[in-house]
Amino acid sequence: MAGPGIPAYLGVAVFLFVTGAFGVLLRRSPLIVLLSLEIMLNGANLALIAFSRHWGNGDGQIFAISVMAVAAAEVVVGLGLIVAMARKKLNLDVDELSSLKG
Amino acid sequence: MITTPHVDWFALSPTLALLAVAASALLAAVLVPGPLRKPVSATVTFAGFVGSFAAAAVLYAHSADAHGALTGSLMRDRWGALAQLILAGAGALAVLVSYGERTKEHVSEYYALLAAAGAGMIFLAQASSLLTIFLGVEWFSIALYILCAIDIDRASRLEAGLKYLITGSFGSAFLLFGSALVYGATGTLRLDLIGRAVADRGLSDDPLLVVGLAMMLVGLAFKMSVAPFHQWTPDVYQGAPTPISGFMGAATKAVAFVLTIRILQTAFAQDAHLWTVLLAVLAVASLVIGNLAALVQTDVKRILAYSSVSHAGFMLMAVAADSALGGRAVLYYLIPYSAMSIGAFAVVAARERELGHDVSADDLAGYGWERPVLGVALWIFMLGFAGFPLTGGFIGKFYAFSAAYRHGWLWLVIIGAAATAVSLWYYLGIVRQLFLRSSAGAAGSTGTPSAPPRDALLQIAVVACVAITVASFFAVQPLIDLAKHAAGSLPF
Repeated sequence: MAGPGIPAYLGVAVFLFVTGAFGVLLRRSPLIVLLSLEIMLNGANLALIAFSRHWGNGDGQIFAISVMAVAAAEVVVGLGLIVAMARKKLNLDVDELSSLKG
Repeated sequence: MITTPHVDWFALSPTLALLAVAASALLAAVLVPGPLRKPVSATVTFAGFVGSFAAAAVLYAHSADAHGALTGSLMRDRWGALAQLILAGAGALAVLVSYGERTKEHVSEYYALLAAAGAGMIFLAQASSLLTIFLGVEWFSIALYILCAIDIDRASRLEAGLKYLITGSFGSAFLLFGSALVYGATGTLRLDLIGRAVADRGLSDDPLLVVGLAMMLVGLAFKMSVAPFHQWTPDVYQGAPTPISGFMGAATKAVAFVLTIRILQTAFAQDAHLWTVLLAVLAVASLVIGNLAALVQTDVKRILAYSSVSHAGFMLMAVAADSALGGRAVLYYLIPYSAMSIGAFAVVAARERELGHDVSADDLAGYGWERPVLGVALWIFMLGFAGFPLTGGFIGKFYAFSAAYRHGWLWLVIIGAAATAVSLWYYLGIVRQLFLRSSAGAAGSTGTPSAPPRDALLQIAVVACVAITVASFFAVQPLIDLAKHAAGSLPF
């Protein structure tokens, strides 16, 4: 197999996942948070595809394609909610969303 | 020629029944004229849950020997079937409770999504490959995200929906990355093959596998709303439509626990020395945080949400015990717990519909005298949550404690007992409000002429929940036998 080995792919995958996780935890705009969630999922996808190649079976690739479909569905709901909030002129800042607390 | 795998349609029937119902309810939103939409879609959905319950019962009877359906991606066994019975029952009760909601818009969509969420959970109860597990988790979660926010005109609903979406997806991402690492370590997605690969190749200390397992457990902990991954729970339970909060409290928790035990016992039995300790720590965190936080809440839905966190701790004690007794304890525990959860939220929903705003503990003052049926029912649910005898909650806790004790964790039992003692404060506080406080709000409640007529369906659901709560105490032996056969299909 030519090209970089599994550790390199896994390194990038972990980097993506961690970047996304920090994005979810630190950024305040719900749009960026959704984007960061996507980055987390795509980090996992990269790991799945790399391992699929490593083991020489297609399971990981099938998994990755299903994840893409699921991620799309999730984003549709998330964007829908954000649009609804924007229409209601709610503050689009996840730190300001604190009417539910206690 | 492509050979298609053998599909065991019968094993899929509980899922398919609900999927068909979800589609029909959605069609009803378009084809049925306005005023009929709600009765039609609610009836269809209720019938779907009942049909799914019946299918799961038949499946239970005919699945004495566990075997794979759909090339091992799903397991047809009694463990899944009993979980499906609990889930379908919870769904049917949730439909009854929902019927009185006074929202005019998106009624059919509401029921369609409820059926879709139920279908996802029922699918997940059988899932036994990392792929079907992830798909099932996302399937029911996405439906629930929308259900939380279905009244898009209310800011609190939107906030709950978005918070649930973000935390839920964050948890799912951990579950997915963990799955990827486990796949990387073993080269297979099927739980049974993972278990075999770990045993044969001595992978139990493989760093990929251990990190993957830990990340999967984090993801599942979000779904079980186990502390410290519970922060979304009170906000979402408070902001979501109340019948949905009850359904989430019962069904999401049930499916998450059933799935966690299946994963741990089938795939990671070799790593028990690691996860038992981790789960015991999480159980303690849930018991402490859930109970202490519940003490300072004023909103009843938030109290119930933190109570659900603490109950996750009790069930986790049984999971951490890593024994057939523990598995049996969780399955038994879920039966009265689900009924109490749906019932308690149903009473809150009834009060909320009378008041037209969120229910704080003070709003329940004297409610037991105003509406005796609901008041007594809520009293019984609180006693059941606290674990009093004559309710199934007592036996559930007893089994969970004895599973932990049998494992040699006396300290965990002591913490559990202390947590129960603390929980009495807020459970009995609600009972005190119901019966021992003259309704200071009597002026307020008599001053609400728009108090709706009694909601017969909601009362039926509440009475059914009371019946399950109490009957599970007296009919403990048959239920334990069911749970025993179910636990027998996992390799404890």
